Amino acid sequence: MYIDLTSAGVPAPFWFVQFFKWLGFTLHTIPMNLWFAGLLIGLWLHLRGNNYAKHFAGRLLRQMPIIVALGINFGIVPLLFIQVAYYKVFYPATILMAWFWLSIIGLLIPAYYGVYAYAWGVKNGAKMESWRVAAGWIACAFFLTIGFLFVNGLTLMEHVSRWPELWKNNNIAGAATGLALNITDPAVYPRWLLMFGFALGTTAVWMLVDLCVLGGEKDEAYRNWAIGFAKKLYTVSLGWTIVVWAAYIFGTWSQDLFATMFSWPIILLTLLTIGAPTVPWMTLMGVGERPLTRPTVTTLALGQFLVLGLNAATRQTVQNLNLSLYPAVLDQPTDVQWSPIAMFLIVFALGVAVIAWMLWQIPKSKSA
Amino acid sequence: MLIAAIAVVHVLVSHYAVGGGLFLAMEVQHAYREKDRNYLDYLHGHARFFILLTVVFGAITGVGIWWTIGLASPLATEVLIRTFVFGWATEWVFFIVEITSAFLFFYYWGKLAEKTHVIIGWIYAIAAWISLVLITGITAFMLNPGDWATQDPSMRNFWTAFFNPQFLPQTIVRTGGSLLLSSLYIYLHASLTLRDARLRDMIATRAVKPAFFGALCVAFGAAGWHFFMPDSAQAALVSAAALNIMFALVFALSIIIVGLLYIGPYRNPGWMSPGFAISLCLFGIGAFSMGEFVREAVRKPFVVYNVVLSNQVLPQEVPSIQKDGYLQTGVWTKAFVREHYPQTLVADSIQYDQLLKLPPEDRVMLGRVLYQHHCNDCHATTDGYSAVAGLLRGRTRAQVRSTVGHLNSVFFMPPWTGRPEEAELLTDYLMTIAPPRPSGMLIGTTMEEVR
Repeated sequence: MYIDLTSAGVPAPFWFVQFFKWLGFTLHTIPMNLWFAGLLIGLWLHLRGNNYAKHFAGRLLRQMPIIVALGINFGIVPLLFIQVAYYKVFYPATILMAWFWLSIIGLLIPAYYGVYAYAWGVKNGAKMESWRVAAGWIACAFFLTIGFLFVNGLTLMEHVSRWPELWKNNNIAGAATGLALNITDPAVYPRWLLMFGFALGTTAVWMLVDLCVLGGEKDEAYRNWAIGFAKKLYTVSLGWTIVVWAAYIFGTWSQDLFATMFSWPIILLTLLTIGAPTVPWMTLMGVGERPLTRPTVTTLALGQFLVLGLNAATRQTVQNLNLSLYPAVLDQPTDVQWSPIAMFLIVFALGVAVIAWMLWQIPKSKSA
Repeated sequence: MLIAAIAVVHVLVSHYAVGGGLFLAMEVQHAYREKDRNYLDYLHGHARFFILLTVVFGAITGVGIWWTIGLASPLATEVLIRTFVFGWATEWVFFIVEITSAFLFFYYWGKLAEKTHVIIGWIYAIAAWISLVLITGITAFMLNPGDWATQDPSMRNFWTAFFNPQFLPQTIVRTGGSLLLSSLYIYLHASLTLRDARLRDMIATRAVKPAFFGALCVAFGAAGWHFFMPDSAQAALVSAAALNIMFALVFALSIIIVGLLYIGPYRNPGWMSPGFAISLCLFGIGAFSMGEFVREAVRKPFVVYNVVLSNQVLPQEVPSIQKDGYLQTGVWTKAFVREHYPQTLVADSIQYDQLLKLPPEDRVMLGRVLYQHHCNDCHATTDGYSAVAGLLRGRTRAQVRSTVGHLNSVFFMPPWTGRPEEAELLTDYLMTIAPPRPSGMLIGTTMEEVR
């Protein structure tokens, strides 16, 4: 049912591949959340919000091109490592839905340009040209669609049992037509909506990071508005994720998967993942009784990173459990490339140092 | 074709991402040194154009190639990923450095100290060039993996794969190409956006030297590329008429470009009008696009030379598939037979003698299955790129059967990777799409017969 490659083993220890897949996905999730829900919220506030809302929206939308660039870049890592370790299921799943999968690129290019068009048209107090407004909303619709297509492909990748039916309905002389969108899989929708729920929370946290760390402070009244809005947004996020988690777990997990995810020691991960959003939420709710300081915002940001990281780890675990039904997928020989790994890690460390130096120049700039 | 189309578009932008970055770093340094505010203003505008083109379109079409090859050639993609995953991961680090430096360079223009601004420009330029080197090592491997392909699999390693015979020539070609092509884009941008004749002439003069150096690198690198090509690629280059013409055109266009650069920006910088710049740019894009197409096409019958055949089969698998059968070995082909012709299976093994006893329409259908999986990676059916129907026009069944059975008697085709019974089935199908010989041709007929 899957491609077999006989020429080489996995070029790194499996834990290494899994770790970088997890790290890359978690890092990708932060900016991805900001274009997934943040763009929608930003556009809406920019259109209909009060002056404070417009101030925040303008800042977020001007930051959006950089956010998108970082998100795409961080997304490369999990995709690279998914193809290293999970190629036996990744390629067939994406080939079954090939035209939809390929359309991600076709949607991403105009979406990215749409974000630029909007961002470069944001000027305080000035009315924006209608084509820029349209470009922003089209970008938003495209990003939501891209999210759906990604969830579709990656869910199909781990639900191998769904392939035969999709293939039977979408082939010409046995060759996949690439038109098999996995829309009848009940797991697709909660997974998509769950990410939207996290994205609302990430946007709320970003709002306060922008306020306290990135120089978004306007005046005291704006500060109060931003804190209040972030509280409401995170509360919606929390409620949303609880509801969708319940639908996802009780509505789509098989009995075996449920039993494993709620058995020792994995139950710890499951419960931590479900409970994690309460950490930033409670921290946020405490603001007001005590002032919003940089340490508080740092705690919030780390809390949200924890939420997204735990979610990525749980997804990874569920993925491995679903695929463990097909031993040939995960049970592969390794043929570790030590010296290229060393090269990568050294370059990675140097790269982080160079980037840190460059970012260090920002506070010294005339705009700081 | 989809891969080629996306690849060519990407290459046209990604070379500019390297050469243009170098241009910006050098010229910003020059403008600061000369305190030329007007030139700095122009460079700021150019950086905006550069960001919009390279960071957005260049980056996403790059991901687009990866996307497309994964769908069209999953086996070849997986071989490349397994072999070079840490090359790709390393390239990703440089890509992050590029993105960060490009944004800081552009968004903090005029806000950073001059020295810091220039350093960040150079960080971008160096990171972009190293990205080029890393990617070239991987793409060059596809044309000639050298010793790696013949080594015992347990002895294979990243470094022999990366430093393949094509690595150096192609790195030189691409470095030169990025300088040359970037100069052409710079001329185009300057001629369309600059009103200041002094600045336009200065840019014409300053960008021509990197262009000449780039052209020289392309010439040297291309010679090396030709010298280190496998025999089959050299043979394909001279025996395929389309490649012949394209190769000649690339050569001719390159000479025209160098000639125009000499009489234009080098001798007469004032000639750099929009028309002149557009012509230069179109010639450059034409030469580059055809060069890329030739580079891809000469690999046949491999996607990765000696490692993966163009129909997604490893060369070492061919004998066993010929013995066991293509329908039996393929996951989806077997599933198709299992679903539609269960009577031909015994203990989940296809009985080939039973397949030949099926009614003609079923034999044709199975032939179509074979065609879709064995041939359709490279050939369209009746219309389109390298359509099979046109290649079989007017042939008899015996001729078609013989062609199928001896596919690689033409060296740029993969071997027939199936059993003789399957060759019969494929022939049945091909005869249904092969058009008749064109009528009205006066060969072997008398005028009386024609009348």
